[in-house]
Amino acid sequence: MLYTPLFVGILFLAACVAGFLGALLGVGGGIFIVPTLVLLFHLPVKIAVAASLVSVIATSNAGGSSYVEQHITNLRLGMFLEVGTTIGALSGSVLALYLKEWVMLILFTALMLYMAISAYVSRHADDRRIAAGGFTEVANDTWSRRLELAGSYHDQALARTVEYNVTGSSVGMAISYLAGMASGLLGVGGGVLKVSAMNRYMNVPMKAAVGTSKMMIGVTAAVGSILFYMAGLIHFHVVAPVALGTTAGASVGTLVMNRLKSVVLKRIFAALMLYLAYGMLAKALELRFHIVLPNLG
Amino acid sequence: MPLTPTTPTREAPANVYSAVYKALLWGMVVSTVLYALGVGRALWQGTTITLGPVTALGWGAVLAGALRLDASCLMQLATVVLILTPVARVVLALVAFWRDRDYRFVIVTGIVLAVIGLTVVLGRLGLH
Repeated sequence: MLYTPLFVGILFLAACVAGFLGALLGVGGGIFIVPTLVLLFHLPVKIAVAASLVSVIATSNAGGSSYVEQHITNLRLGMFLEVGTTIGALSGSVLALYLKEWVMLILFTALMLYMAISAYVSRHADDRRIAAGGFTEVANDTWSRRLELAGSYHDQALARTVEYNVTGSSVGMAISYLAGMASGLLGVGGGVLKVSAMNRYMNVPMKAAVGTSKMMIGVTAAVGSILFYMAGLIHFHVVAPVALGTTAGASVGTLVMNRLKSVVLKRIFAALMLYLAYGMLAKALELRFHIVLPNLG
Repeated sequence: MPLTPTTPTREAPANVYSAVYKALLWGMVVSTVLYALGVGRALWQGTTITLGPVTALGWGAVLAGALRLDASCLMQLATVVLILTPVARVVLALVAFWRDRDYRFVIVTGIVLAVIGLTVVLGRLGLH
């Protein structure tokens, strides 16, 4: 394959879009990168997963550093949950090295369907939560008390400091493990699972959950990347434009995120996920059963 | 009746935030520059890529190649820097927690580092 400016340019632009959408939606962008590399560039799934994992670290560095600087990230909570997520990433990466390509495609399809449904169902959740009351009405659980996981951040939109207690630590740890597993297995950051775990089950406000998740996905993806690197699956010429593109896209996305309505974002996200899930499912069926589904373009 | 917070809010100390922020920022800057140089050189030289297994070069060869502005070595070095950035962030946080005598979080970050270490060992043992 020739390494031409056109190849690099398209890869860079596709990664820019993935990084941009990832930043808008609080995810690493891997959920867009893998289908793009597989469906548009016809790369083998494992090479796409490896490239995606490295790009997830790039977006985590770009977005995570900004949230850490603003103290939106809850460092103590993030590092507590990283115990589960790194163990999950190690198990997922080991599985990924042995699984067949069509199985990985089916798993990826399932994850995208879950994310599409989750985004659509929760499109009004933030507004309802704010209307229902604050984040200090729930008591800290045992782990939270022992490790002092409760936190606070300054919300610029509300022009006040938002304090919150942390509960559901065991559930959060279990979901973090699953998120890590999805990361190692499928080349995503697992940010959606982490954000929803913190926001829905641990009483963490959305912005703090997004900031904490952005930091966590870097170390999660690093664990998977180490194994893929040693397995010779990281193609540096493919990874380079992808990492540059996601970094650029994530940087721009972070700047415009606050100007867009979350309801609109979540609807676009759900529609895009359904479209990509169809493409991945079609590829899996073709690989395993030689069934050809209609091409949607 | 609403419950009141049972413990006061406690943030990680400022030096932990500072250490983590610096690690992430520098990792991003260095890897981006190396990747940009690598892609530029690859396009300038005109390269053909194959999608077979990649044999990573040793540290000495990568550094020597990067100094010669070899495209593959620059990209490999950028990838290693990128992968090591979150790891360095955990190490720096551990040191900062140690300095603050927050030993519970020294243990927590130590477990994360142990998992990363186990990953390297498994990779070295030829898990793949």
